[in-house]
Amino acid sequence: MSADIAAQDAARRQIWIDRGERYGLLIAWLIVIAAFGLAKPGIFLSWANFSTIFGSQAVLVVMTLGLIIPLTAGDYDLSIAGNLTLSSMTIAVLNVYFGWPIFAAALMALAVGLAIGAVNAFLVLFFRINSLIVTLGMGTFLHGITLWISNSNTISGIDFAIANVVIVTRLFGIPLAFYYALLIAAIIWYVFTFTAAGQRLLFVGRGREVARLSGIRVDQVRAATFLVSGLLGGFAGILSVGSLGAADPNSGLSYLLPAFAAAFLGATTITPGRFNPIGSVIAVYFLVTGITGLSILGISTFVQDLFYGGALVIAVCLSQLVRGRQERLS
Amino acid sequence: MMSGNAIRLAGAALAVGLAMGSAHAEDAPAKAAADIAKYTSIPGFTAAGEPFDAKACMADKSILSIPGSSSVPFLATINASMARIAKDVGFKFQIWENQGQPTQWVQGIEYGVANKFNLIDLLAGADPRSLVPQIKAARDASVTVTASHVTGFEQDVPGGVSAAIPIDYKQAGKLLAEWTISKTGGKTNALVLVTNEVLSTDSMVAGLKEAFADCPDCTYKIVNVSIPDWASKIQPNVQSAVIADPGLNYVIPIYDSMSQFVVPALTITGATDRVKVATFNGTPFVLDMIRNGQVEMDVGENLDWIAYGLLDAQMRLLCGLPAVKDPKIPLLIFDASNAATAGTPAESSKGYGDAYLAGYKALWKL
Repeated sequence: MSADIAAQDAARRQIWIDRGERYGLLIAWLIVIAAFGLAKPGIFLSWANFSTIFGSQAVLVVMTLGLIIPLTAGDYDLSIAGNLTLSSMTIAVLNVYFGWPIFAAALMALAVGLAIGAVNAFLVLFFRINSLIVTLGMGTFLHGITLWISNSNTISGIDFAIANVVIVTRLFGIPLAFYYALLIAAIIWYVFTFTAAGQRLLFVGRGREVARLSGIRVDQVRAATFLVSGLLGGFAGILSVGSLGAADPNSGLSYLLPAFAAAFLGATTITPGRFNPIGSVIAVYFLVTGITGLSILGISTFVQDLFYGGALVIAVCLSQLVRGRQERLS
Repeated sequence: MMSGNAIRLAGAALAVGLAMGSAHAEDAPAKAAADIAKYTSIPGFTAAGEPFDAKACMADKSILSIPGSSSVPFLATINASMARIAKDVGFKFQIWENQGQPTQWVQGIEYGVANKFNLIDLLAGADPRSLVPQIKAARDASVTVTASHVTGFEQDVPGGVSAAIPIDYKQAGKLLAEWTISKTGGKTNALVLVTNEVLSTDSMVAGLKEAFADCPDCTYKIVNVSIPDWASKIQPNVQSAVIADPGLNYVIPIYDSMSQFVVPALTITGATDRVKVATFNGTPFVLDMIRNGQVEMDVGENLDWIAYGLLDAQMRLLCGLPAVKDPKIPLLIFDASNAATAGTPAESSKGYGDAYLAGYKALWKL
């Protein structure tokens, strides 16, 4: 009898621990909002502030989503920042210098992204090279091409229609870019959760040999992840051009660390221990909320680095703890 | 207890003081406008020293230029102009192409010494303070080392170089502040974006502070964002500042390439009508932004003129002439009224007139 009660208590405790893990980041986000809200209630808690937070980080969200797909399969795509930069520069060069319609230039950016994904997949899978090294080299190579085609210049004067459909037009006061990012996250969530392709991807990530022996075409799955990652890199490039109204050959590269921080932080929540799109979106906005709050309080920008870097390290530690606990339980 | 006279005297003094203070406040916009007016017309040429026969003196000389980074358009353009001018004068000029890494600058100096260049120039960003041992070794090998376009007139020669060729950064900073003072009638409330690791920032900030010191009703907040963080930090910081302070009326990114991250922040926060942008450098894409109404003003430098001015100073050093303290490279204010003179799309050296071309030709006896 007492053994049953103890078992029930343990089960109840376990449920609370699971919930804590699952929604920990969400709770942390709310605490951060509450803390900054208390410090600067009139400003931080205004809708203008939140619409700005949501509307201005779509590029980072899409890039993070692009990262988590190969990460789920156990691969890295470090070239995604170079992909973003080259794709945005492609739009600028084609639209401003060659007079292409903006829609056609944007399609070409997606094609460039997809092609980058295909080359990454070929190099990783055909030559059996670690994705970390291939995509690191690819990122640098793409930066070289970007500097080349732009003559190292920032190009402005891009057709304003792209800004109109990215940040100027709003729904509930939030620029459309936010909704594009949410839509992509929803699609990935659906694929990860409800489709066979999503389950295969997860198996591949958890153990390639086991997946292969189970009849999954591992190389095909891994190639698909690079293609999707490339496509999302290209889409992030479109959003970047739409947000800035210009393309510059360097700035996209600085998104890489924040995107990785968000991907790993996102893996600690919603589906703890797995890279997941909803967790990633929450993680981006958790980080951005922190940085915005620190900016509003007038705290130096080095503290923002402490926040980003610290969040990444803590996230990886938490993720590791969760994974270790799950492995012990299983 | 104060006597009646003392009270009356104190009252009078207070009234005079208040009147003077108010006159001071009223004077600030007029004074600022007067200073700005000096920089709104196409500049004339002023020689930085006596004429000399550049071709004869430079025939057997050579210069190696190490830019901060060849991938920065501003520097690549200056370097290309310098190479063209050196060819016209008739001396060896080489650019040490690099991607902005200090190890590449070290390599460049060592290459220059090993290949017996007469002068090694660290151009705008190759920071002499991080190259002290290499600069010393070069000078020990009788190579002249200069640091160009990194310091203001009032700053010390950095890193032990033979000479610094300064730019009037302080005046540029002053003009940015004065523009906002003039436009707001002495009620500037500005966010100033700076990059402290760049040596010239100190000089520009000194100019800004000097101008704002004359404006009692002006307020400003300085935020430092290092270059690698421009893309990720400028936009959120500007957004936060705009939301936090409804009275903000100017953003002053002291280097104009920062503007591309300021403009979207103003668009997203719906503050484009309230908050204006004033900046410095005259980079072509920012001049395009002025034409498009996204940036209000840009204090520009003619990159071709800079190339002439820097080479003039360097050649004088190699020819044993007195060192140049002011290369006489002028500043020109671009706003909506004259942005189109820089071309559509804008070009790096257009809109400044061509007085300098004939001026340097005569100065160098070409």
